[in-house]
Amino acid sequence: MDTAQLRAQIRTQIRTQIEEKFPAAFTLYRREDRGVIPTGITPIDSTAQGVPLHGLTEICGSSLNSSGKTSVLISLLARASQDRCCALVDASDSFHPQTGQAAGINLSRLLWVRCGKSKVKLRPLEQAFKVADILLQSGGFGLIAVDLSNLGERTVRKVPLSTWFRFSRVIEKQSSALVFIEQEPHATSCAQLVLRVQAEPRAFSRKLLTGFDLKVEVVRAGEKKPVCSERSGFALQTQWA
Amino acid sequence: MFACLYVPDFSVQAALLPESADAREILWRSPIVILDGPANLLKVTALNDPARKIGLEAGMTKLQVETRGGVLLRKRSLENENSAQTELLECANFFSPRVESTCLGTAILDLAGTKKLFGSSQNTAQKLAWKARERGFLLHIAIAANPDAAMFAARGFPGITVIPPGEEARHLAGLSVAMLPVTPEMLETLDGWGIRTFKALAALPEVPLTERLGQASLHLQRLARGQIDRVLKPVELASKFIESFEFDDPVETLESLTFVLNRLLEQLCDRLLSHSLATNNLRLTLELEVRQRQNENKGEEYKQEWKLPVPTQERKVLFTLVRLDLERNAFSAPIKKVTIEVLPMKPRLAQGNLFAPPSPEAERLEITLARIRGVVGSVDANGLSCAGSPGIVDTHNPISFSVQPFSSVADISNSVAAPGPVIALRVFRPTLETSVELTGETPHFVRLWKKHYRVLAASGPWCSSGEWWNSGAWARQEWDVALKTRTGVGYYRIYEDRIKQQWFVEGIFD
Repeated sequence: MDTAQLRAQIRTQIRTQIEEKFPAAFTLYRREDRGVIPTGITPIDSTAQGVPLHGLTEICGSSLNSSGKTSVLISLLARASQDRCCALVDASDSFHPQTGQAAGINLSRLLWVRCGKSKVKLRPLEQAFKVADILLQSGGFGLIAVDLSNLGERTVRKVPLSTWFRFSRVIEKQSSALVFIEQEPHATSCAQLVLRVQAEPRAFSRKLLTGFDLKVEVVRAGEKKPVCSERSGFALQTQWA
Repeated sequence: MFACLYVPDFSVQAALLPESADAREILWRSPIVILDGPANLLKVTALNDPARKIGLEAGMTKLQVETRGGVLLRKRSLENENSAQTELLECANFFSPRVESTCLGTAILDLAGTKKLFGSSQNTAQKLAWKARERGFLLHIAIAANPDAAMFAARGFPGITVIPPGEEARHLAGLSVAMLPVTPEMLETLDGWGIRTFKALAALPEVPLTERLGQASLHLQRLARGQIDRVLKPVELASKFIESFEFDDPVETLESLTFVLNRLLEQLCDRLLSHSLATNNLRLTLELEVRQRQNENKGEEYKQEWKLPVPTQERKVLFTLVRLDLERNAFSAPIKKVTIEVLPMKPRLAQGNLFAPPSPEAERLEITLARIRGVVGSVDANGLSCAGSPGIVDTHNPISFSVQPFSSVADISNSVAAPGPVIALRVFRPTLETSVELTGETPHFVRLWKKHYRVLAASGPWCSSGEWWNSGAWARQEWDVALKTRTGVGYYRIYEDRIKQQWFVEGIFD
């Protein structure tokens, strides 16, 4: 009996013994595919099929450069608010209601939580996570978006993985989508979809800023690993273009 | 038939009413006295049977009571007594819509037409006693053919007394004439004649009695015979839904306060339920014990009001809202009095819609919003709410916005088609002060977060102004600029405040 066979035999023996005590130990955990919310941006919807319900999504992009992550979020909120209540947890109070209305968000169905605006001891990041937790417990919101993109990258990186894991398990049992807007992805395998958005430099048209060319990269989708990322390009226009 | 509910030692029972059922049971068995009067001369105004057994009586001073030891002293509170009386009337109102508030601790109700609902008089009395016990009262109940006979029987006999029609005089015979509304002079005269019971007074000949003691004595004699058949004066109960409680000693801990609040809200919700009403407006007033007042007549008060999007009858919802608010606040002084008022309205009658979009439950949403406010605060420095629906203000000022109360029940049917994705402006609040180097009139370099960035392209100037007719005047000159950063390009909106002559970064196109 060669070494490989011996290893396989030992593995089978160990597995048999453990499986008796812990039946789920060797079962591969698979998330159920249970619907999406379209973002309203065709290239994203065709590659990632929209933002998954019952799952955690991360939309990432630079905060110093124009990346288009907020435009994707606004477009997603506009679609989601047509038929469900949405919540936007704004850690840096940067949402612009006029843009939201222009994009078609039903503002009366949007709960906007502005963190860090009053004399509360908690820091904006802590406030944002606590509020997201409360909203998840409350239920009834079709989309919960947490905007952390203006917070320092170092601060967000300190959020323990257990927090992301807890969020992903809680949202799994609810008919809602949980979306985080950040500079870099942090939830690792807890996220069901990770999008990275980047804007391409574009000349002003007749001395007027008319739009961006954006590139979106699907870093993680469903069971796919980061190596399977897909890229697609599209253009977005300003309100006045 | 009429039923009289009489609460013996009403002041004592009213003082114990806010306690839990178990605590009330234990306290009732120990000697309790109620004190009233000026702070330096407090006297006993009411006491219970265990206190009487150890030799205490009404009129004793606080010092005399304290020498006995082991006696629970409570200060009389008219607020608590009125609240207890309302509770008693509410209890009676469960059985009849015609209830008279005869005096504190006594309620008479008309039982005409209730036989099919509650059964015989004995059964009705037992149900009344059970209901009253549920609410924390130990009652004497009497049922008779007229209100006064029922009242004297309730005051004179413990437990349940049912007097069949025509037998009032026989049943009331043993009661003392001192129970009648008789003047001290007349009582002295009657005592001098040896007339000490209802039976003795009822047996006197009418004409000689009237000749000697006047017309009033005839009325008293008819009362003693149980022959007065007066008209009941029913009270209207649903006018105001207010409950209040005054603490003996001002409280500082939230636990003590929430315990009482829970009880008051329970009473209010029971009353709302009994009237088939709900509320969407709750008002809380806490009176604080301020020792050094500038104005002696006016103490410090904490007032809070909650307006719910949908009416509710649920105590838990209202209680959680109040508790979350109190947890957020720190009071400068202990609390001595709590008042809660709810504005009654018809409950929401809405059938669930299978095709309605998923939304948070209206009642739970208020609690969720209260919890969120507990985390992020209620309002910002400009007085705008920290949690609500974003709103557009009718002005040309691009930085203005409003925050409306969020409601899951509002505007569900109103859907507008999304026009399509647009580039979003991500604003900085407050706007970032900056300095801009100009070439001619066009921005050439912009300072952002202590670094200078070269302007690759600029679009502008776009001038706007408004409200020049009042103090909120604004005038600005906007530029959309593309800034060359180390890693790429950032499209920013900058503007010059033409009143302050200062440049600001409003936001980034993202």
